[in-house]
Amino acid sequence: MTTTTQRNEPALLPGDFAIWIFIFAELLVFGVFFLIYAVVRIQNLEMFNHYQLTLNREFGAANTLLLITASYFVVRAVHAIREGQVRNCQFWLYAALGCGGGFLALKSLEFHEKFSAGIGLGTNTFYMFYLSLTAFHFLHVILGMIILLAVAIKARLGYYSAAEHTGVETGASYWHMVDLVWIILFPLVYIIR
Amino acid sequence: MNRIFNIHAIWLIMLGLTLSTYAMGKFGLGGIGVVAFLLFTSIIKGSFIIHDFMELRGVSLLWRAIMHGWLWIICLTIFTTYVIGR
Repeated sequence: MTTTTQRNEPALLPGDFAIWIFIFAELLVFGVFFLIYAVVRIQNLEMFNHYQLTLNREFGAANTLLLITASYFVVRAVHAIREGQVRNCQFWLYAALGCGGGFLALKSLEFHEKFSAGIGLGTNTFYMFYLSLTAFHFLHVILGMIILLAVAIKARLGYYSAAEHTGVETGASYWHMVDLVWIILFPLVYIIR
Repeated sequence: MNRIFNIHAIWLIMLGLTLSTYAMGKFGLGGIGVVAFLLFTSIIKGSFIIHDFMELRGVSLLWRAIMHGWLWIICLTIFTTYVIGR
């Protein structure tokens, strides 16, 4: 009888480890932002509840659906490249970029609506938080899209295969972080009252 | 095949939870129970993202603890401040 010792070693973090340091740092920054919002809200409860009603919840919900769907498409892209399906990987990445574009378009409309009404960072504390939090996240969506576009282009140029696809996983991890942050931001700013 | 099916199901569940969050806002629902439900759905969605989309299910406990810990701490603190502010 032979005895074999099998140890289930934990898997490594998907993608490049450096992106995870970046992700943890980003989550820390957003986390502090959320907590400050929650605390300041207590001190300005009436104002926050009143001006929250001026936000476009439909756009907020649609943007959540778009980001979740984009994340799902990115997962499909990762699965595709692991099976060596480069064309499918590109297809799902471009589909995710389409959803990201939809998010940016809706958010731009929302910002335009507010700025046209003369609302800015200095209008009141609620709008200061709403605009800075969502604009900060907006910039992260743009960065995530740039990363996904770069990954899609590199996939087309043949940089990725079933054996080597670290870049795809790295881009995917960053994109999911952007989605994760919005999952908290949407109910916190648009819904909870 | 199962894994692909799971990803489909998770995506649909997350869409459904988002629509339920929107409905709560649309109907102007508030109160501790509603906020607890909203934050709990955020935790479910966030856990799906961490566990299944980011694929951290098999990685070392440290990394999972950081990610899930972030999610729970944020949601519990938001809930606590909501209760204090009532």
